Amino acid sequence: MRRYLRLFAVQLRASIELALQYRVDFFVGGAMALFWLFWNLVPMVVVWGRRPTIAGWGFWEALLVVAWFTLLRGVLEGAVQPSLVQVVEHIRKGTLDFVLIKPADAQFLVSTARFEPWRGLDSLGAIALAVYALHRLGRVPAPGEVAIALLLTIAACALLYAFAILVVSAAFWVVRLDNLIYLFNSVFDAGRWPSTVFQGAWRVLFTFVVPLALMTTYPPLALLGRLKVSTAIAGLAGAVAFVTMARLIWLRAIGHYTSASS
Amino acid sequence: MSLRSTLKAYPTLLRVGLAEAVAYRAEFLVWMLTMTMPLVMLALMSAVAREAPIGRFDQNGFVSYYLTTLIVRQMTGAWVVWELVREVREGTLALRLLRPIHPLVGHSADSLAAIPMRGLIVLPVAVIMLIATSGHDVTHDPWVVVIFLASLGGAWLLNFAVSATIGTLALYMESSMSIWELWLGCFMIFSGYLLPLELFPPWLERFARLLPFAYLQAVPVEILTGMHDRTSALHQLGAQYAYAAAAVLVMALVWRRGVKRFAAFGG
Amino acid sequence: MPEPLIEVDALTKEYRVHERAPGVVAALASVLRRKYKIARAVDALSFSIGAGERVGFLGPNGAGKTTTLKVLSGLLHPTSGTVRVAGFDPRRREHPFLRNITLVMGQKQQLLWDLPPADTFILNRAIYDLPEREYQETLGELTELLERGDLAERPTRQLSLGERMKCELVAALLHRPKVLFLDEPTIGLDVSMQVTLRDFIRRYNERFGATVLLTSHYMDDVTALCPRVIVIDKGRLTYDGDLQALAHRVRPHKRVRVRREDGREETVDVPQSELKARVTQLLAERGIADLTVEDPPLEEVMRELFMEKRTTT
Repeated sequence: MRRYLRLFAVQLRASIELALQYRVDFFVGGAMALFWLFWNLVPMVVVWGRRPTIAGWGFWEALLVVAWFTLLRGVLEGAVQPSLVQVVEHIRKGTLDFVLIKPADAQFLVSTARFEPWRGLDSLGAIALAVYALHRLGRVPAPGEVAIALLLTIAACALLYAFAILVVSAAFWVVRLDNLIYLFNSVFDAGRWPSTVFQGAWRVLFTFVVPLALMTTYPPLALLGRLKVSTAIAGLAGAVAFVTMARLIWLRAIGHYTSASS
Repeated sequence: MSLRSTLKAYPTLLRVGLAEAVAYRAEFLVWMLTMTMPLVMLALMSAVAREAPIGRFDQNGFVSYYLTTLIVRQMTGAWVVWELVREVREGTLALRLLRPIHPLVGHSADSLAAIPMRGLIVLPVAVIMLIATSGHDVTHDPWVVVIFLASLGGAWLLNFAVSATIGTLALYMESSMSIWELWLGCFMIFSGYLLPLELFPPWLERFARLLPFAYLQAVPVEILTGMHDRTSALHQLGAQYAYAAAAVLVMALVWRRGVKRFAAFGG
Repeated sequence: MPEPLIEVDALTKEYRVHERAPGVVAALASVLRRKYKIARAVDALSFSIGAGERVGFLGPNGAGKTTTLKVLSGLLHPTSGTVRVAGFDPRRREHPFLRNITLVMGQKQQLLWDLPPADTFILNRAIYDLPEREYQETLGELTELLERGDLAERPTRQLSLGERMKCELVAALLHRPKVLFLDEPTIGLDVSMQVTLRDFIRRYNERFGATVLLTSHYMDDVTALCPRVIVIDKGRLTYDGDLQALAHRVRPHKRVRVRREDGREETVDVPQSELKARVTQLLAERGIADLTVEDPPLEEVMRELFMEKRTTT
C-alpha cells in the first residue's frame, strides 16, 4: 500500500513537472477553464429566462447542479482522461508491453500516468459557484446533508474512474479509441441539467445506464435536503458494484490482450 | 498538380474513403453517437414546453427543430482538424506532401465519402420526425427543400474549410487544438445547435446572426422548418456561400504559408 | 552446462488473423461475415538456456522471434506447450517473476518522451520498490558502464537515438534483472554506438551473471556477443548450438583472400580439407603481397541457411 502511495506521488510529480515545462499551456488552460465555466451558463440563463422553474428546479437550484457538473468535469479532464489518452498512445505504439512487464498493478500504473494539474481551477470555480448558489437560496445545509453530499461526490469520482477503465478496456477490442472518449464526454455533458427534468427513456438512461443522476443531481439534492436516504444508499451501492465490474472487465481485457494480440 | 488530374483521381479517392468508412464502421458509429446532443436538448426543451409553448415552439416544434439540427450536423460535420493535427505531430504530413495531389483535396474526399454512411443513420431520423410531427412544422415548398439541400453543401464547405484551417495552424503552433475548442464552444452557443437563436434575447440574436456560426446550423434548420419563404431563404443561402468562399480562401492562404514554414523548418 | 534458466517445450503460438480483400464491395461483405485465418507464428519450438548464457536468437523477418520473446516475458500466452523462466510460469506474470526479467525493444521505448530520462529512472525505482542505496549504486554502475555522462538531465525527445537507447537500457536494468530479453536493441544505431551497447551488454552479463537472449539483424552483434545461437524459421527450430559450428555446417569453406603486389585482389572459397594444400600452393606463387584466411561472413551463412531450408520444405 505504501509503495503504491509513493508510486502515485512519483507519477503526480512527473505530471506537474511536465505541466510546468509548458508554462504557457498551464496559464492558457487555467484561463480557458474559467472562461468555459461562465460560457456554459449561457444556455441555462436563456432557458430559465423563459420559465422561473422547470420540473421543480429554480435557477439557483439548477446552478448547484451545474457546480457539481463542473467539479466532476474537472476531475474527469484533470485526473481521469489524461491517463486514458496515454493508454491509447501505448496501445497504438505497442508500448503497453512495457507497462505489463512491470511488477505493479497495470491498472494502477496506467490510470495514474498523467494528470493535468491546472484543472484544479475548474474544481475551485465549481466550489465557489456552489457556495454562491446556496447563498442566493439562503440555505445553510445541515452537517449530515453535507456529509451525504460529500460521500456521493466521492462515489461519483469513483464512477468516472470506473467508466474510464471500461473505455480503456474497450480499447483492447476497438482500434480507434479517441472516439470513445468523445462519446463519453458528450454523454457526460448532459449532466449539467438536473436529471429529474428528463422523462421516460432518458431518465432511465441517465439514472441507471450512465448514472449522471448520481453524479451531478443527487449531491445537490442532498444539500437542498430533498434526497431520500434510501436513494443515497442505493446510489452508493450502485457505485461500488459499478467499480467492481469495471475492475473485472479490465482483468478480462488484459487477458484478451495477452492471449490474442500480436 | 493540375486540376484535371485531381478531378480524374477524385472518384477513386471517394471510393477508397467510403471503403475506409465501412471498414472502421464501429469507430464511425461511435463518432456519430457523439453528436446526439440535440436529442438531449430535445428532451430538456420538451420538458420546458410541456405546459405552454415558448415563442413559436410547442413540443412538436422542438421535435422538428432538434431532429433537423441532428440531421444537419450529421450531414455537414467535418473533422479534418483531428487528422491534420495528428499528421503534423507524427510527421506523416511529409508523406502526404510528396503525393501529386493536394493533401486538403485528399482530406475533402475522405470527409465527403463518409456522408453516405451518415445518411444511412440520418434517414430513419428524418422519417421519425415526419411521422412524429405529421409534417406540420416542415416546409411544403419544394423549392425551399431544394434550397435546404444546397445549404447543406454550403454548411459542409464552411465546416470543412474552418476545420482544415485550424488543423493547418498546427504547422505554426503547438496549441491549435485549443483554438478548435474555442471555435466549438462558440459554435455550440451561436449556431443554434443547443438552443434556437430565436429564444435568445433580441440583441444577442441579432449579434449571433452576424457571425458565421449561424450558417452552419441555424440557417439550414430554419429553412427546412419553414421559417423562411423562397426569397428570404435564397438570401440566407447567398450569405452562407459567401462565408464559405471566404473561409476557403483563408484556408488556402494559411495552408500555403504553413507549408512554406514546414519546408523551411522541417516541421 | 549449468542448470537451465529458460525452458521452452513444444511451444506453439497461433494468431487469428482477420482477412479482407481491398475495395468497397469486400468491405461491405466483411460487415456481414468476417473471415478469419489461423496463422501459426511459433510451431512446436523447444530449447533450454542455462543461467549466465548469452544466446543469439536468429531468423528472417516474421520467423516468430518477437512472438517467442513476448511469450517468454509473459506478454503473450502460448497456444500450447510449456514455458518456464527462472522457475516461473511467465503467463501468470507474478511480481517476483517480473522483477527477475527485463525486455528491451529497439523499436519501442519506455522512457517518458517529454521528461528527462532521470524521471523514468525515478519512476522505475518506485515501481520496482528499490531501496535508495541499491538504486544509487546500480545507477552509478550502469552509468559508468555506459559512459553515459549527463544525458539523464535533458528531455528524452532532445536526445539522439543512440543516447536514448543507452538510457533505455539503464531504465530496463535498474532492478538488476537476471534475464534480459533484447529485441533488436541496436537497430538504427551507427557502428560505434552498436559496439558501445554490445560491450555494455557483455559487461552487464559478466558482472551480474545475467542470462541474455538477443535478437538482431546485425550479425556483428551476434558474432561479438553470443557463443551460442538458436535459429528459427517459420516458427520452427532449425539450429541450436555453437555459432562457429553452424557456420561450418552451412559453409564448410574457408575464404582465402589474396592481394598481389600489382594491387589485384582475389577471393577463393576453399573446402576445409584442402585448405592447407591450397594455401601452401598460393604462398609459393610469386608476387603475393598478403594472404588472409577467414570464415565467410555470417550474413552469407544465414542467407544460405534459410535458402536451404526453403528448398527442403
